[in-house]
Amino acid sequence: MNNEMSKLNSGLQLKTSRRRLLQVSMTAAGGFSLGVMLPGCSTFRANSIDDKGSWSANAWLEITPDNRIIFTLDRVEMGQGTYTGLSTLLAEELDVEPHNIDVVFAGAQTSYRNPDYGLQLTGGSNSLSSSWPQIREAGASAREMLITAAADALQVPKDYLRTENAHVIHAGSNKRLTYGSLAKLASKQNPPSEPTLKSPTDYRYIGKQNKRLDSQQKVTGTAVYGIDVEIDGMRYAVVSRAPWLGARLKSHNGAEVEVIAGVEKVVEIETGIAVVASSYWKARKAQDKLKVEWERDEDAPLDSAEISELYHKQAHADDSDSKRSEGDVDRAFEKAKKVLEFEFDAPFLAHATMEPMNCTAHVQDGKAEIWTGTQAPDIAQVAVAKVTNVSLSDITIHNQFIGGGFGRRLTQDFVAEAAEISYKAGGVIKLVWSREEDTQHDVYRPAALHKLRAAIDDQGLPIAWDHHIIAPEIMDWYVWDASPAMFPWAPKFMYAAFGHVGLLTAGLTPATPADTSAIEGAEDLPYSIPAIEVRHTKADAGVPISYWRSVGHSHNAFAVECFIDELAYEAGRDAFEFRRDYLKSSPRLLNVLEQAATKGSWGREMEAGVHQGIAVHKSFNSYAAQLVEIKIEGNDIQVLKVVCAIDCGLVVNPDIVKMQMESGIIFGISAALYGEITFKDGQVQQSNFHDYPVLRMNQSPEIETVIIPSEASPTGVGEPGVPPIAPAIANALFQATGERHRRLPLKLT
Amino acid sequence: MLIKLNGVEKQIDVDSDTPLLWVIRDEVGLKGTKFGCGKGLCGACTVHLNGVAIRSCITPVSAIEGQSISTIESLTSEDGTLHPLQKSWISHNVPQCGYCQSGQLMSATALLSMNPNPNDDDIDLAMSGNICRCGTYPRIKAAIKDAAKNLNNKNAQAMGHLAYEIKV
Repeated sequence: MNNEMSKLNSGLQLKTSRRRLLQVSMTAAGGFSLGVMLPGCSTFRANSIDDKGSWSANAWLEITPDNRIIFTLDRVEMGQGTYTGLSTLLAEELDVEPHNIDVVFAGAQTSYRNPDYGLQLTGGSNSLSSSWPQIREAGASAREMLITAAADALQVPKDYLRTENAHVIHAGSNKRLTYGSLAKLASKQNPPSEPTLKSPTDYRYIGKQNKRLDSQQKVTGTAVYGIDVEIDGMRYAVVSRAPWLGARLKSHNGAEVEVIAGVEKVVEIETGIAVVASSYWKARKAQDKLKVEWERDEDAPLDSAEISELYHKQAHADDSDSKRSEGDVDRAFEKAKKVLEFEFDAPFLAHATMEPMNCTAHVQDGKAEIWTGTQAPDIAQVAVAKVTNVSLSDITIHNQFIGGGFGRRLTQDFVAEAAEISYKAGGVIKLVWSREEDTQHDVYRPAALHKLRAAIDDQGLPIAWDHHIIAPEIMDWYVWDASPAMFPWAPKFMYAAFGHVGLLTAGLTPATPADTSAIEGAEDLPYSIPAIEVRHTKADAGVPISYWRSVGHSHNAFAVECFIDELAYEAGRDAFEFRRDYLKSSPRLLNVLEQAATKGSWGREMEAGVHQGIAVHKSFNSYAAQLVEIKIEGNDIQVLKVVCAIDCGLVVNPDIVKMQMESGIIFGISAALYGEITFKDGQVQQSNFHDYPVLRMNQSPEIETVIIPSEASPTGVGEPGVPPIAPAIANALFQATGERHRRLPLKLT
Repeated sequence: MLIKLNGVEKQIDVDSDTPLLWVIRDEVGLKGTKFGCGKGLCGACTVHLNGVAIRSCITPVSAIEGQSISTIESLTSEDGTLHPLQKSWISHNVPQCGYCQSGQLMSATALLSMNPNPNDDDIDLAMSGNICRCGTYPRIKAAIKDAAKNLNNKNAQAMGHLAYEIKV
């Protein structure tokens, strides 16, 4: 997810401030009007109490009379740690032990929109940063109301009261009132307009809580993921989709399959043909008997070589959009003593979440219920609305634990399929994709071509940098489902219009910034080179694409950090020292670089056959540097050790930060060494973990993470660990082999 | 067909070629065992057959009729006490998304029951058939070593070999 996702707001929303959201909404005449959304009316649900005495203090917090503290988690838990991290924020300001909080997953509701995007998305590594003010305020506000209620009940001044683990305590009389017992009285208080937040010196849990709160469920097999949902009367569905990109269903023998024992229905849906049966296995076996003819799309891409050719052609045909221009680049190249010019390639990548795509749906009588793990519940509603007769307001999303997201579950194709099958076949159906379907019908990390040039002076130093990125823009694909979710009141016939408006105005209005997914991490080159040009040419081969953990940074960091390494070599300089000299104006990047180099003993005397490489990259407002040690055995590249330094601002849960660095590094190594989706005759060639391999334990390095202490606002950790690892390995590979490897995945032949 | 699952006998009525995984999940209703790849490549579906780790997604139910199968649910005792490996998993903050962890734990318990003091290579060998996309491998390794230290050694009669070996 790129930070500029806010462009989705095709209109949608101007940059938000903490206290007020300026919203742009579409008027009936098609123009835009500005509206103001105040937290009191929208961000916070009205303070209310139900007939059982359960107090909903705001959209996130409910306190029951028996003192259950229920937190509605509106950023999904897919491994990255929101369940623990956001609960800790609430726990801190409410004064409740984090493990005493019951977490429930939010359904789709405008209160739960991600303030950075105006959509209920979990992505872009911003859950902690965007929730940082609002969840703490939700806790602090409720705590103040509880104290006021206790002061009333005990008839003592508020200053004599303190709170501790879901109790208000009056030290003088030694009275301890549970929050639950105060719920009714608290509900009668007015929520404070500016709740007082704790001073960091008083933190009990923030920065100290280290244990995850979801571990017990996950080691006992009791955590419920989308695939585990069981609904009475549920049947199972599988879908045969076109094996060729863009092909459409032509004919099939569904009627013959429908009479097989156990099969209940065979229905045509937009993406193919679905078999509904009494069990998953019966559905699969029946699917084997399905004979389908497809009509191929002549314009669809055929194979990887053709796609690469298209990128190169586009690069020549198009003079590109300048994304950054500093200094006199042309003149620098004219007077250069030498010009270095290379191409870097990054392939399409699948997400390969451990939990294959799945969704359980019940569409009936103008209502829909959806049980799934989705990173975007409001966009899931749009997906359901598009394929059924149900309105958004009648679509309920029951979100679950997510067995890996990495951006895959931002796209709602699996939700749409399940809803359409239930709508057409009737009843509750659970759709489960096979691993092969998951690999071959993914929305991929786009392939990218990078053309990099540097002008070198007579000292061997760079005087100009010219980076030309040839890649598609993800918003071209994502906007169609996402933008209608901004306007839940809009009739369905307007959905397409929102997509068009979003794309047409991209980059033209403050409300619709340009899609930076292709250039992020390249346009903000941090190195102080006198002349810099960063350009983009859009090349879209028609392969479905989406957000993939760290998005554009995943390939831009590779190109930039490998090329910088080449410039250091050209200058006859040490790769670390060269970077350090050119990062003087980026102190936080410089600091992580130095920390990684120091902790990883950069330049130490190496064992025979072991080589170091280093890279540094800023993404999602966090700064990460990684030093790797690799060894070559035959044609096998082994990553032995990674030392990572991360500056992500103030840290709420130090061990989760470390976990996310480890996770990003191992995810990144899988891509750096093995990840590649290729096409032949219009078909994806990979299908399962044998031909789309990912890192296994025996290939996994030792990892050491250094967290930079900081009081700056918290920033991302889910993605920033990914970008530096591929270039760090490639740079070590140069040390090992004397050859530059400029194509991902890195392979020795 | 009669199957013995976590010490309880169950009568089930399914096609004999149905993979054990779907019987456990959808016929018996124990959802802790996960579907990952359907080809025995990822280990998310790992269960024990007579104490040995197997991939339930490629094991037809007919092949295990009458034999003893244990799943992740069997690791926790009836009074809620966790297996030492589960405790170690928690103290090392192993799970992230958690989806693969049932399989990881079943492979790890099978390993320790046969080899109470595994070294790094033993752990790699026993665990490399289990994929984790969140990259929890370093913590799994540390958690296994830690648990091994704390485990009772009385079942430590080494079988002389690992009962299964997954070629990666």
